[in-house]
Amino acid sequence: MSRRDDSPAAAGEHADERAPRGPYPPTEAMLAEPVPPELQAAQAERLRKAWETPKGWRYWSAVNNSEVGVWYSLTAFCFMLLAGLMALMIRVQLAVPENDAISADLFNQLFTMHGSAMMFLFAVPIFEAISILILPAMLGARDMPFPRLSAYGYWSFLIGGIFVMGSILFDVAPRAGWFMYPPLATEEKGPGSDIWLLGLSFIEIASIAAAVELIVGTLKCRPPGMRVNIMPLYAWYVMVVGGMILFAFPPLIAGDFLFELERSFDWPFFDPTRGGDPMLWQHLFWIFGHPEVYIVFLPSIAIAAMIVPTVARRPIVGYSWIVLSAVGTGFLSFGLWVHHMFTTGLPNISLGFFSAASEAVVIPTGIQLFAFAATLMVGRVRVNLPMLWIAGGLAIFTAGGLTGVMLAIAPFDFQAHDSYFVVAHLHYTLFGGMVFPVIAGVYYFYPFIAKKRLSDRLGKWAFWLIFVGFNLTFLPMHLTGLLGMPRRIYAYPAGLGWDWLNLLSSTAAFVIAAGFAVFLVDLLRPKSRQPQIARNPWEAGTLEWSHDVPEEAWGARSVPYITKRYPLWDQPKLVERMDAGRYYLGDAEEGFRETMITSVIDARPLQVQRVTGPTWKTHGAAIFTGGAFIFPTFHIYWPAILCGAIAVGFIIWWLWSDTARPPEKEMKDVGLGLSLPTYASGPKSVGWWAMWITMLGDATAFASVIFGFFFYWTASPDFPPPEALDPVAWLVGLAAAAMALAWALTRAARSLNRAGRLAAARGALAVAPAATLLGAGALIFSVLHMSPTAHVYPAIMWAIMVWVVVHSGVGAIMQLYCLAGSLAGKMTPRFDADIWNVALFWHFHALSALVACAVLGLAPMVLT
Amino acid sequence: MSARHDPQRRRDRPAERDEERRAFREEAESLVRITAAPTIWSGHFLLCYCAVAIACAKAGAVPGWLTGGLLAASVAALAAIGWVGWRAFRQWNVTDTGDFSNPEGEAEDRHEFLGHAAFLLAIISFIGVVYVTMPLLLVEGCR
Amino acid sequence: MRLTGAATAAAAAALSLAGCAGRQSALSPGGADAAALGTLFWVMLGGAVLLWLAMNGMFFYVTRVNASAMPRRLANGMVIGGGIVLPTILLGALLGWGLSILPDQRQPDDGLTIRVHGEQWWWRVEYWPEGAAAPVVSANEIRLPVGERVGFRLDSDQVIHSFWIPSLGGKMDMFPGRETYVSLEAEAPGVYRGQCAEFCGESHAWMAFEAVAMPPDAFDAWLDAEAGAAAAPEGGAAERGAALFAREGCGACHAIRGTGHVGQVGPDLTHVGGRRSIGAGRLAATPEAFAAWITHTDSLKPGVRMPSYDHLSDADAAALAAYLAGLT
Repeated sequence: MSRRDDSPAAAGEHADERAPRGPYPPTEAMLAEPVPPELQAAQAERLRKAWETPKGWRYWSAVNNSEVGVWYSLTAFCFMLLAGLMALMIRVQLAVPENDAISADLFNQLFTMHGSAMMFLFAVPIFEAISILILPAMLGARDMPFPRLSAYGYWSFLIGGIFVMGSILFDVAPRAGWFMYPPLATEEKGPGSDIWLLGLSFIEIASIAAAVELIVGTLKCRPPGMRVNIMPLYAWYVMVVGGMILFAFPPLIAGDFLFELERSFDWPFFDPTRGGDPMLWQHLFWIFGHPEVYIVFLPSIAIAAMIVPTVARRPIVGYSWIVLSAVGTGFLSFGLWVHHMFTTGLPNISLGFFSAASEAVVIPTGIQLFAFAATLMVGRVRVNLPMLWIAGGLAIFTAGGLTGVMLAIAPFDFQAHDSYFVVAHLHYTLFGGMVFPVIAGVYYFYPFIAKKRLSDRLGKWAFWLIFVGFNLTFLPMHLTGLLGMPRRIYAYPAGLGWDWLNLLSSTAAFVIAAGFAVFLVDLLRPKSRQPQIARNPWEAGTLEWSHDVPEEAWGARSVPYITKRYPLWDQPKLVERMDAGRYYLGDAEEGFRETMITSVIDARPLQVQRVTGPTWKTHGAAIFTGGAFIFPTFHIYWPAILCGAIAVGFIIWWLWSDTARPPEKEMKDVGLGLSLPTYASGPKSVGWWAMWITMLGDATAFASVIFGFFFYWTASPDFPPPEALDPVAWLVGLAAAAMALAWALTRAARSLNRAGRLAAARGALAVAPAATLLGAGALIFSVLHMSPTAHVYPAIMWAIMVWVVVHSGVGAIMQLYCLAGSLAGKMTPRFDADIWNVALFWHFHALSALVACAVLGLAPMVLT
Repeated sequence: MSARHDPQRRRDRPAERDEERRAFREEAESLVRITAAPTIWSGHFLLCYCAVAIACAKAGAVPGWLTGGLLAASVAALAAIGWVGWRAFRQWNVTDTGDFSNPEGEAEDRHEFLGHAAFLLAIISFIGVVYVTMPLLLVEGCR
Repeated sequence: MRLTGAATAAAAAALSLAGCAGRQSALSPGGADAAALGTLFWVMLGGAVLLWLAMNGMFFYVTRVNASAMPRRLANGMVIGGGIVLPTILLGALLGWGLSILPDQRQPDDGLTIRVHGEQWWWRVEYWPEGAAAPVVSANEIRLPVGERVGFRLDSDQVIHSFWIPSLGGKMDMFPGRETYVSLEAEAPGVYRGQCAEFCGESHAWMAFEAVAMPPDAFDAWLDAEAGAAAAPEGGAAERGAALFAREGCGACHAIRGTGHVGQVGPDLTHVGGRRSIGAGRLAATPEAFAAWITHTDSLKPGVRMPSYDHLSDADAAALAAYLAGLT
């Protein structure tokens, strides 16, 4: 260990000592060499032991993607069924005019919960669930890079979901619509709106956690050789959708943050009598809400992109076109949000921009469908049941897409907006673009997941019932809407021409329900007497169909070297060699769970990642995080703070005991003569990438709060109000200086530690938290004289302050964590992933703190 | 990384580091290249929306110079996207290889694939900018 | 059973109010804007049906009719032609058309503006003829002259509503603390129905109104009459009703110009008997409906601020109803 500076040369030297060694890529001769059978058996036994799923009640401590993914999918599916039951109740009430089967209040709770649950508890989570379940197998990875994060996400989702869904049993469910427009939602009596805000924020955070994991999984956990131009299209979609979640959810979280501050403490962000503006919520909500639609749609299209080549029995036509379409849709979908606000009286020319972008997004969406058609055209098609569902989905989705083209024309939307036409449109896009492909995916991947098959006959019954029922329910709604029926009305008078249309819709809704019942029966009926399935029943070409039948928990017996888009079709002997353990990581000599980390673009092997195994720590963390979100719903704050502290404790315990520990040996032979490091820090480690991606999301949320500040300035002629008090300038300046110092110390600690100057590094890490707290304190005192309930100007200043102070608290804990790690020998000059990640956090935090100080300190002078 | 990673060859460090650095730069560059055109679209879109929103909120009208400026921005954005697209087309190199799908797990195919994807994204972004420019020409005023 | 009786009366009143289907239909235009949007819709629908058939016909053909392998060149052509060229042209043309008719509904009015203020769940209405110093105050009904572009200045009390008369044109949201504007032009005399289109709370379903398009002369005459004070209705029951109105404290919330009642919480009732509906489009303005409304307010419009006067005897309710129905 040299005591040198953190020059690139020094860093390079460390990197070199831990650089991969040995031949890569493997030659055909190396791959052709057989593995002795007794060695194979011994290796398999060791792997099996390392990846053993816990038995009995300990089963629930599992964190493996194949367990968590199944729980996640089933839970999301249950929430979908519950939300579907709510829809049936809605249809019963609307079957005839002047009906009083359900009270107005209950009806409002039902449609609010139907929408919220379908979006937040089904559509987004099911994408993450299915991806967690199948993505590692598509990539020949053993598991996701952070299994415990998936488990934590799952338990958070379960707790939050039950809490939100359960509220309807106590007649306290949210009732202001799934879009929660203030002032209606802010003025709502009872905890309904709080349940929505806090319960769903909790779930959104779990969603972001899963997105981070999926992005890192796609970027870093691909098998050696799987360059970006040959990864399964599903992985491309996961990456795009993960990125969209990262930029779409944070604005909503920022909105939730402001909204809950208004609900709990009467800070008037959306109250026009005190300078607030309900339009800000609409912007933040739909900046989330429209990308959300594509977040839901793209993964389902990704499933279609896996099924279509299998059916056509040839590679997809237009791989690059589909990648373009996914990436293009991802970008364009962020320029559509105002088309949900066409009737809010925004300037026509603004509407024009969003109208234009809404039409432009049709093009990439259409390209995907044409690429599928082209694939089927040049292939020798053999239609199977999943393809039937895909075809049905496309028929429905194209209709929804075409009505979308109409709605994007602003003047037409003036008529159709908030009418049943839109209800029909959105169900056509979501059923066709999401529900049908997901069910197709269930039929397609069921042999992979359960090692059993679903019934073709029941599947066809379910399909035709749902398909016919769907069209009979929703096709008439286009007309109902144009005949003037608005959405979200619990009753309507007779004689406006809506009666028979509604009766038809309500009746047909039960046909859909019958179809789902058939599907459910097929899914749940016992299948233990079914003969063992073929390993690749659809004769597909992608890697997940190299799975073991009967099931093994290790994911891939050995991690293959991939050179083709459809390796099972085009790489002969691949499966045989995987099974023999011929490829990488065919053994678990040390008894650890391990997976390969490769480079982002070309998937060169970089590292062996030890992934974590079963634990209960994540349950503790999830339960207490839940407490921290759920208690404030009832305006109980001390237990919430306590829960938050305990949750932080659990998370620190979990990180401390199981992540970034110095390994027992630095390099490990992974097979085929290749030796890889077992530890990485900085840009080479998955943890650093996860931090980077998380902070990108966090920065987006912060930017949304800052956007709020400038939104008020744009929207209101007297913002800041002329007589308003401003933050104390010198305290803001002090805060900026202290934060900059804390950042510099953290950054210096990283270099000093790397250079082996431990005392100096520890000194910096000891002083840094003090500087952090000084900065946070100065920021608090700079706005303390302003009353946040009086006007939105002080309120938004306070909100920015709260945001920065909370992050400072996290930053200080991180600094102390590194200090403790250094003192305890967990973090050393060689094994320094922790300080790299913390320094990265601080780059972002310092930047946002300085922006906050600029807004607090400079904006009042500039804007008045 | 290659066979040169054999322990006896580890003295050969600077060249190796160069190679790694080049590889990393290429990773970063290809990410930039593939997202460049849609990023230009986003920038142009946000510029148009924000400028008009502020003009309408603060002045109640979109002054002619602003419309003119935004039209100029549209032309600049189209030119930039065209340039990105042209470079991507060169990278795709289809005229020489005749390969439309680049399906092999080789560096060359990966390189050309990224060019192809970036080229297609440039086309979409170009259309996007043209569409977003239409309201500037067809819709007047703030009402 | 009184409740059933009231409910039946309400149902009957609602039926008679509904009249012909299509009064709230965007597809039966009674105004210039709705007509333009109707044309837009029919054209787009035709295009959409054709495209849907082409797209799904192609899928059907390649999977069911001709499942064998077809030439690659054809497939490439289809991705380029169908995926990029055709949609770019079609969508561009459609966008151009849409943008060109976008400003129409916010054209300046011809002089008359009507200020509509959304409440939970009814409408305050003020008529501002050109140059007027003070408005003509009404509620829950819109009357407008045929052939004249009328401006609507919209805002709201507490929550967001949306003002929508499908047969005349598109909708516009109504915000607290911010004024929005839409203009509409009726082309044919007729009675249309408007309804709140933005979810606004428990009885969002029952926030509607009648919109009556009248020949200009008739409109002017009506507006003159509407500007005047209420004429006390004659007859024993109606006079007893007027006394009951005072005794029950109705005037604390409702104004009737020309009497001492000046409450501003609820709708202005000066000419309530002359309106086509009561309770914001809830019931036809018949004496029975007035009685049902007064005694069963909460079941007819859940969550409404007006209490149900269910302690009134049938005779009292009828008297009150006679008074109100007589306020023409």
